[in-house]
Amino acid sequence: MGSMPPSRRELTRERETFFRSLPSRAGRVLPCWAAGVVLIKVEEGDGGEFWRVAMRDRAVVVDRGSEPADATVVLSADLFHDLITGADQLIAALLRNEATVVGEVALLLVFRRFFPSAPGSGDPRDAVGGSRWRERMDETVARSTPAERA
Amino acid sequence: MKPLVNILDGNTFLVSDRQGDVDPSPAFPTGLFSYDTRFLSTWQLTIDGGRLTALSVDDLQYYESRFFLVPGEPTHYVDTDISVIRHRTIGGSFDEDLAVLNEGNEPAELVVRVEMGADFADLFEIKNPARKMAPVTVTVRDGLLCFTYRRDNFERQTVVSSSVAGDVDEHGMTFRIQVPAHAEWRTRLHVATNILGAQGRDFRDSLRLHRPRSAAQIAEALTRWLDATPRLVSDSETLTSTYRRSLTDLAALRYTSVSTATHLVAAGLPWFMTLFGRDSMFTCLQSLPFLPRLTPPTITALALAQGSRFDDFRDEEPGKILHELRYGESAGFEEQPHSPYFGSADSTMLFVILLDEYHRWTGDDTLAKRFEMEARAALDWIDTYGDLLGTGYVWYQTRNPETGLQNQCWKDSWDSISYADGRLPGFPRATCELQGYAYDAKMRGARLARLLWDDPAYAQRLEHEAAELKDRFNRDFWVGDGRYYALALDAEGGQVDALSSNIGHLLWSGIVDQQRAADIVGHLLGPRLFSGWGIRTLATGNGRYNHLGYHVGTVWPFDNSIIAWGLWRYGFREEAAIVCQAMLDAARYFQGRLPEAFAGYDRKRTKYPVQYPTACSPQAWSAGTPLLLIRVLLGLQPHGDHLVVDPALPDSIKRIELLDIPGRWGVVDALGRRRPDTNHNERDSASRS
Repeated sequence: MGSMPPSRRELTRERETFFRSLPSRAGRVLPCWAAGVVLIKVEEGDGGEFWRVAMRDRAVVVDRGSEPADATVVLSADLFHDLITGADQLIAALLRNEATVVGEVALLLVFRRFFPSAPGSGDPRDAVGGSRWRERMDETVARSTPAERA
Repeated sequence: MKPLVNILDGNTFLVSDRQGDVDPSPAFPTGLFSYDTRFLSTWQLTIDGGRLTALSVDDLQYYESRFFLVPGEPTHYVDTDISVIRHRTIGGSFDEDLAVLNEGNEPAELVVRVEMGADFADLFEIKNPARKMAPVTVTVRDGLLCFTYRRDNFERQTVVSSSVAGDVDEHGMTFRIQVPAHAEWRTRLHVATNILGAQGRDFRDSLRLHRPRSAAQIAEALTRWLDATPRLVSDSETLTSTYRRSLTDLAALRYTSVSTATHLVAAGLPWFMTLFGRDSMFTCLQSLPFLPRLTPPTITALALAQGSRFDDFRDEEPGKILHELRYGESAGFEEQPHSPYFGSADSTMLFVILLDEYHRWTGDDTLAKRFEMEARAALDWIDTYGDLLGTGYVWYQTRNPETGLQNQCWKDSWDSISYADGRLPGFPRATCELQGYAYDAKMRGARLARLLWDDPAYAQRLEHEAAELKDRFNRDFWVGDGRYYALALDAEGGQVDALSSNIGHLLWSGIVDQQRAADIVGHLLGPRLFSGWGIRTLATGNGRYNHLGYHVGTVWPFDNSIIAWGLWRYGFREEAAIVCQAMLDAARYFQGRLPEAFAGYDRKRTKYPVQYPTACSPQAWSAGTPLLLIRVLLGLQPHGDHLVVDPALPDSIKRIELLDIPGRWGVVDALGRRRPDTNHNERDSASRS
């Protein structure tokens, strides 16, 4: 059974949580060279809300201004929800013109690093395993190079 | 297969037949393409309802061609008075000057028609024909013919106009003309390709990317490009013409990156006119002594798109460098994973290798410092997500079995990795050259850490890990009874024991034990691998060997260039010269333009290298091949702030002068001479500020 779509209020709260988390994550996510302001316009119904993310020196300052920025991205609240839950991916959304960007795409690509993994995707090392691999490899080597080992 | 004529400018290109026509072709990439979408799928010229016949075709420049045509079929045309010249150029958009000439003594009344159509096929729909998800709408207004494809917010549009008004209908334009005696009629057809982006404008306007350029602007840019590269003087005309062809093809393949608005090199026409991590980095490595300016934008674009999350559909992991980026419908709607796709296990190591090689040549500290974080993430990837089995090797296995790549090494076709008896191993797989690249990346990462990142402890750790990897590799991959390295290891702890060209890449990486190098060289130049025209991807005698097998028998120029570099590294200069000579001999039969691959037949059986049926041409790393061969022949190697020149030329080349080699030394000239009566090579170099 599918889960209920999140309510408008839940989406708003989710966005606030996401943006509030950025300053504490910036040091691990941002490269030293990333500098500039990304303006995100999240459209919902007839209105929209703005988030301004200023990146510099591996730190982030977030505010709610709507002044012109180095890169401006416009997208729907539903798409933004999908991005911050990992269900969708920003570049694909840009390619199908569901999100649009004006200005420096490079800054947006840096901002993309804040988005989480796709649901159900994780460390690929979990998917396989090879506990006896070394033992078998040593047997292979012993068979393959008997002369050299002797 | 009918001969085709291509013109291109970066990732916009037109493929037509020898008449200049494009017939609808759902399963073959003919037509006008831009950003992975076909904007024209029909473009057929008729006079009085009949198709035309080509008398000759001039490939004037890569962005320009001219067709000389007469009405009718050759079987029944006799001294026609009417002839047609189609002169076309491409530069973001497409223009065709159509001239109808009447050499008769009477005026001619003619009906000239161009049939037009656009199917907006995504390149991947041409590889695997599929129905479009939405209809194409056609409108006629103000003398313009507009084809529009819209699926949700995704919109592509082709707009055709003519300088002379004609009758426009939904399938083309008709011109009812009268051409006086000994006169001509002309019109210019203009085809604009629009891609909807922000604020209802073309996305290139919103991102301030370059828009259509005229032929004159492209010509001027090409002249500047050629003038800024080292000048080559040699007694070998093949070498000088191949060199010029290579530089021109690399210019042709440049396109504007959406993320950085700088020039990147597309991988190959027609299938790969986009950013490939592996291809672009190998092309940069090959061309560093000549075109170091290609590297910073490539590194920057790849760093920007570096993997930052887990995404099974895209085979993405943190730190991974992309395999392929596409701009079309199938990428946007996630029918294909190329937004971008990360299914290559070597690009992450190559990123570190290129960053270091670029620094060695240019002394540009800025780039290597700027991307320290990304390079460290790449180095971390080798030992974490790259090592799927925790064995100290880089492995690959796609997590997207539907649309991902099975083989994530440069030989990425499905059957490229096999045991000697032809069986295919299970997954994951650890091919040998990946381990070589990992070794090299660690050694080069150590150099960068010590010189530029102020982290000697990290440098020491990387060198220690590299040394351990080399030991481990030389034990596990060595096929003792054959005296070569296995193509791969399997997940069961077995050797995938085919003899392949991959062992040549190991020389380039430096992971080969010195005392084993002669065995490896013996195989590479031996009859099973060396065809006389080059080193085959897979040795004869292997179960899957096929003269025409894409990665299982054909000869790849790029592969040979890296192997020649490896032979140089281990001091096998004579053997390197043999490989270089074979490639240049082959290039002569391709008018200086080495294709992606050619057949693996023995040279004794074929007087010329046999073309591979669907090879891409031009192909970036094939165009880069002659450049790397020249580096190898002259023995060019940066050493501190100097350039070492240590030539070893083959018999057929007496003299190579390379003037104005750019680098951390300013510019340097290199001279290699071979004395006719001895095997002695002389060297000379002079540096100028």
